[in-house]
Amino acid sequence: MELYVRSDAVVSRVIAGETLIVPISKGVGDLASIYSLNQVATTIWDTISHPRSKSEIVQVIAREFEAEGAQIERDVEAFLVEMESAGLVTEVGVATSS
Amino acid sequence: MNSASYSEFSLALHEKFTNQRVPIDATLEITRRCPLECQHCYNNLSMGDLAARNRELTKEEYFKLLADLADMDVIWLLFTGGEIFARKDFLEIYAFAKQKGFLITLFTNGTLINEQIADYLREFPPFSIEITLYGRTKQTYEALTQRPGSYDRCMRGIQLLLDRGLPLKLKTVGTKINRHEVASMKQFAEQELGVEFKFDSLMSPRIDCSQSPLKVRLSPEDVVALDMYWPKIADGHRKVLQAEIGTPAVPVNTVYSCGGGLKSFAIDPYGHMSICVISHQDTYDIRQGGVRSGWEHFLLNIRQRKATRATKCTQCRLHSVCSMCPANGELENGDPESPVEFLCEVAHLRALALGFDVPEHGDCDFCNDPEQRASLKNSVRRINSQEITPAAWTGPQDILPILNSSQSAAGCGGCGAMH
Repeated sequence: MELYVRSDAVVSRVIAGETLIVPISKGVGDLASIYSLNQVATTIWDTISHPRSKSEIVQVIAREFEAEGAQIERDVEAFLVEMESAGLVTEVGVATSS
Repeated sequence: MNSASYSEFSLALHEKFTNQRVPIDATLEITRRCPLECQHCYNNLSMGDLAARNRELTKEEYFKLLADLADMDVIWLLFTGGEIFARKDFLEIYAFAKQKGFLITLFTNGTLINEQIADYLREFPPFSIEITLYGRTKQTYEALTQRPGSYDRCMRGIQLLLDRGLPLKLKTVGTKINRHEVASMKQFAEQELGVEFKFDSLMSPRIDCSQSPLKVRLSPEDVVALDMYWPKIADGHRKVLQAEIGTPAVPVNTVYSCGGGLKSFAIDPYGHMSICVISHQDTYDIRQGGVRSGWEHFLLNIRQRKATRATKCTQCRLHSVCSMCPANGELENGDPESPVEFLCEVAHLRALALGFDVPEHGDCDFCNDPEQRASLKNSVRRINSQEITPAAWTGPQDILPILNSSQSAAGCGGCGAMH
């Protein structure tokens, strides 16, 4: 099971209640763009300050927001794919199941 | 996740903060030392000025300051000088700022950029880098910078940044020395290098009250002739002027009406906080009280200061094409409320050259004095008939010596020496 964590090539800041992601090194994100996160995405972002599996992230979102489980899984999956393709999130290995 | 272009993000954030006093934009003048001695510069000191270096905030003080600025929600951070790379520890300060997540712009003359600096910036790119170009030819560039070899060093710096795909922009300031090369600098930047270019032709006395930059300042006629030479620039002035003249004046009873102290502020190399980088009459020592306190109390008081009198600027409807501001009033007249005649003349000339009538705005010689009006009309005729045009400029203008040109020649009070 893959673990996801924030890239150490970006930093995030909360400005006026909105989470912004600012690339700090080359090859991450698009320098001409600014990334901002909505409430759900911010919760995911907070969760992956340490490596987390997709199922752990889904559990956190399910606790915090009212939504159908399959929808949450799809949203988390889409977020991680998008973030990973922009270089803002990285996979850091495989969790061993206990 | 939303990905917005920079301009969309900037617009949305400014709209969100409309009518709020929030410090989102900080300028850090990190040193005044510079390897060049540009004749028009308002603040440069020599590289070997040990007294200046010893007064500058230390690296550790900058780390503390940057952490405080991040806590205050500053987003845009401009590092300027002097020459930023004159500080040997600049990249350490820059790296700390990057880690704090600011959107960083660097102003530099490019002459100290070497491969090591360029490689570092490639790894940790700023949001934007702006290099000031002082001439298209070595002869002109070095006539203004007064430093042999500086042109080649600047060109090398530009190339090192371009080779690494960094977000470079070029700009210049039009002076009597380089006015004939503004067009070729623009062409060089936009056509040959493919980077954005902008220019400004307005300059002020030095912050130590010396009038020395004014000897190379363009005449109002030449400033406006440069504007009118490029239709896009003239159109930009026309649009903002049309909008301003077409709406009733909004009474302003405070000295300041710009973004200074409302959304932005500046801190000089010695830790003095002010409304903006050229305003030096009212400063707050952050070494004594901290930057947050400076913003919340000192700059708030400055920002709320009431105007003591009505001037010809009060009812004027040319603000959008005029560079008059309290800081320019301080520097030129020693009084933030006192109109700068040079800027007033440029604004009137711009409006008239664009075909606008200047609405009545009180005791203004450019409107009411028959001789001044005739002189402006003659200038407009010469500009619009292209009797005066950058296309005909072939070399530098004669430069006449001026009084009060030595540094630290205090007298007007603009440098705060009268306090």
